[in-house]
Amino acid sequence: MATIIINNVEYPIPEGEKLNAIQMAQRVGVEIPYYCWHPALSVVANCRMCEIEVGAKDPKTGEIKLLPKLVPGCQTPAKDLTVLVTNSAKVKEHQRMVMEYLLLNHPLDCPVCDQAGECGLQDYSFHHGQSVHRFVEERSVNPRKEVSDGIQLNTDRCIMCTRCVRFTREITRTGELQVTRRGSHAEIDIFPGLPVENPLAANVVDICPVGALLDKDFLHKQRAWFLSKHDAVCTGCATGCNVSAEENRGALWRYKPRHNPHVNDFWICDEGRYSYKAANKPDLLGAMYLKTGNDHKKATTGEALRVVADRLRETVAAGGKIAGVLSPFLTVEEAYLLGRYLKALNPANVLAMGPIPTRGADQTFTPDPIEGRTGDASFVVCRPFKIRAEKAPNRLGVAAVLEHLEGKVHSFEALLDRVKGGEFRALYAASSAVEPWIDQAESDAIRAKLDFVVVQDSILTPLAQAADVVLAGATFAEKAGGYVNADGRLQYSAASLPPREGSLPDLDLAAILLDRPGNPVRSSEVLAEMAAEIPAFATAHGGKLPEYGVLLAGVDHAPAGPFPPPFVDSWFVAQGAARAR
Amino acid sequence: MRADDPNLKRIRPVELSLADRFFLPAIAVGLGVTARHIAGVMFGGKAITVQYPEDQHVPSPNYRGVHRLNRDEEGRVKCVACMLCATACPAHCIDIVGATAPEAWPDREKYPESFVIDELRCIYCGMCEEACPVEAIELTGLYDLTGLSREQMIFDKAKLLSVFDATREQEPMRYGRPPADPPTLHTTALPAQGPGPK
Repeated sequence: MATIIINNVEYPIPEGEKLNAIQMAQRVGVEIPYYCWHPALSVVANCRMCEIEVGAKDPKTGEIKLLPKLVPGCQTPAKDLTVLVTNSAKVKEHQRMVMEYLLLNHPLDCPVCDQAGECGLQDYSFHHGQSVHRFVEERSVNPRKEVSDGIQLNTDRCIMCTRCVRFTREITRTGELQVTRRGSHAEIDIFPGLPVENPLAANVVDICPVGALLDKDFLHKQRAWFLSKHDAVCTGCATGCNVSAEENRGALWRYKPRHNPHVNDFWICDEGRYSYKAANKPDLLGAMYLKTGNDHKKATTGEALRVVADRLRETVAAGGKIAGVLSPFLTVEEAYLLGRYLKALNPANVLAMGPIPTRGADQTFTPDPIEGRTGDASFVVCRPFKIRAEKAPNRLGVAAVLEHLEGKVHSFEALLDRVKGGEFRALYAASSAVEPWIDQAESDAIRAKLDFVVVQDSILTPLAQAADVVLAGATFAEKAGGYVNADGRLQYSAASLPPREGSLPDLDLAAILLDRPGNPVRSSEVLAEMAAEIPAFATAHGGKLPEYGVLLAGVDHAPAGPFPPPFVDSWFVAQGAARAR
Repeated sequence: MRADDPNLKRIRPVELSLADRFFLPAIAVGLGVTARHIAGVMFGGKAITVQYPEDQHVPSPNYRGVHRLNRDEEGRVKCVACMLCATACPAHCIDIVGATAPEAWPDREKYPESFVIDELRCIYCGMCEEACPVEAIELTGLYDLTGLSREQMIFDKAKLLSVFDATREQEPMRYGRPPADPPTLHTTALPAQGPGPK
């Protein structure tokens, strides 16, 4: 077995992966500081921060020979019998010198810089730098500029790692950014009149290790250490990108991508990134409503649910059938509990998939191992990133639930036609869509044919205005549960906000209607039940999903190769006092 | 530690003499101390209490009273809304809403759109003053802080700036540079109808 020697300790090299020294050291818990290297981008080795002592061990004599000069760790492959020394005095002195050099022109404006708290310069300056500044000349001052409508570039804070330049060349392959001028005058810039406007543009803000590229949407609003991070899944489209939903004081402030090699690699699209705003809207449903006469009156959750349960039971007792609409915005657990409730009332009740919003066409970004690459891309695993036209997070999950409960998946349109044909007496529509999903005419047409309508939603739609009972459900940010993405991957999304005043998460509403013992209900318990009962969900055995999610059973989609542990830029964690908060 | 530990040092209570056991000499000595203080206050002018509010108490120069928000030379608020004071505050009584500075302020990028301190919640520890990188927030010597409601005691940016205007002359840059002679502080009550939220 191939082994590598890091700081005098021998470690096995994982097979089937091509790692560089930084990655290999990270796997075994040794940190090599770096700025310009990123696992999805080519190696340019221009920050010089990761330079370490590299050598080789003679397999026969056991003699270790180190190269006389330091070598960048990002460029050094982890090969059999390679020797890495990361903690020698020579390396430490080099790191101190590089830090001093990088900070020559860097302004000391951490208090007003948005990156403070998650900044590579701050952390490495603390760990590897020095507190004194020997540079006595004037610092060069570069103007603040805009590289697009949403992204600001503070050139004085830039350390010229060129991660952003490589991102636009290698991942989006649009190449808007480049380095202009040379030496101490070098600057990141755009071509005149050609801003960074691609669907993944704001990712350059995430990969910037310092506060040079800033998202104007978040600019000066919060400090990084005030935000609590929740591991969520973006509900903007069927890709189901893994995001960190960052919350403070009952509002979401931003989404940041989390690494998932099966889904989104390191990126999220701008549309998904700013989709968090829907959770902060002031006009979300803030109470349960009962229709009395021609008006809706606020009701407590208990009253509203009692009316729903009683009226639906009466409908069934009178021989009527109930139509159920389960939106693709519901989590699999919610769809399962609600579906089970409606089917338990009367097995003849019909469940259908809610409307699936689509917009535009699928858009795929395919990084190439050679084309577009600026430097050595031999350590990069190229993974495509797809923005789906299907703007719902859980079509496949709800479909799997419906197939189990109903036998087949009825479309929303087909169900509407049957409602208009007068087949049903009552309608139970559950949705968590962020945009109105039914128009006035459609709503009027079906309302006339029904005795009793329940709408469970987080926004006000025309159908809610005509409904007998309106149940205020949770938005995507307020609910926890599993979503199945377009590849059939079931992923867990944690709740990032508490339920709004007057609302209750859809899973709890369903659990109360089902009269489930042991409330309050937990999504993991429901998922465990589903795994035992529905063959498609058998892979979610136990209800606890692994970090990267699981494929539903029967999805013939073998994972391509071994997957590394999740990559987090080593500074992208709160440090010091910020960590304790 | 065990009872028979050789390092234990045993102390015996002092043996009291007959006079000690009567306590009368000790009482006389105590009354003497009281009489000396009475005489000092009545004839020597050595009183350490003051006839407040007719006489105002002058706190020591490092007394920590009401906060003020300093202005710079141009009269703008000095604060850059870095929220380090709010981070350092153990009572969580500071609330700041930051915003991008106007174009006309080229020397800074950020300023506080709103800056609110709940003076009832504050424990006057001075951590905000220590955390501030631009010496924008300071604790003044004002101690007679009163209000008719809780809302009145929540000081907003305008009120905190008005505290600076009121104490600018008496306490120029208190922190780090103590004045040569202790300032004679004439505190005036804050306007009852302050600019704070009603």
